[in-house]
Amino acid sequence: MEISVDRANEVLIAKVEGRIDGANAREFEDALNGAIGEDDSKVLLDFSTLSYISSAGLRVILLIARLLQKRNAAFALCSLSDPIREVFEISGFDKIISIHDSQAEAVDKIGR
Amino acid sequence: MSRRLSLSLPTKLDQLERIYEAVDELGESEEWPPGMVYQVKLVLEELGVNIVTHGHGGDPDHEFEIVLDSDADALTIELRDEGRPFNPLTDSPEPDVDSGLDDRPVGGLGIYLVRTMMDELSYRREDNHNILTIVKRKENG
Repeated sequence: MEISVDRANEVLIAKVEGRIDGANAREFEDALNGAIGEDDSKVLLDFSTLSYISSAGLRVILLIARLLQKRNAAFALCSLSDPIREVFEISGFDKIISIHDSQAEAVDKIGR
Repeated sequence: MSRRLSLSLPTKLDQLERIYEAVDELGESEEWPPGMVYQVKLVLEELGVNIVTHGHGGDPDHEFEIVLDSDADALTIELRDEGRPFNPLTDSPEPDVDSGLDDRPVGGLGIYLVRTMMDELSYRREDNHNILTIVKRKENG
């Protein structure tokens, strides 16, 4: 799992590559917490190169979403593959986190 | 089309890689429908992580077994471990998947994903082992 960080229109874009599972979810959590600065008010996770996520990764997403909500920061996900989208839908996470089809659409929605 | 694959794994999280490789190989040779490889990996990972972290409390000196039986109609999985008794059908709370962000429980999702993605689950405790049998039908096959 690797995270690369970019910024566009005041949106912090963290692109996650590889797999998030029970073995590396903690590493994912630490990497995200390290990437998101205190001043970031708009955060987007780009999953276009994420191949796999399970409940261990969902837990981290939930914790980050709560943290950002407390700060009144915007949070969104984009570019989920079909099986990953299914995981989010079964878990009901699609109802509490905004999910966009593409990075451009997400930045357009939450950026300025 | 039919093939059986057995894995015997130490109770360590770094063994997940071997599960993914086995599922990739079996899914490809057995021509599983799209999406099924991901679902089977997830199910085995969720249950495997449970066995390692809860069943054995992180003690790496045990083994658990996975047998995958793929035929033209379905995949049958048998998971066998000697950890503390755990019946995923009754011992895991149903998570509230409709509550808001703040009230959303952090746990329970893994087993819920397993129950939702698979077609049949049955559990028995035998000779101090948890034995879980799972059936996933090849819907498009």
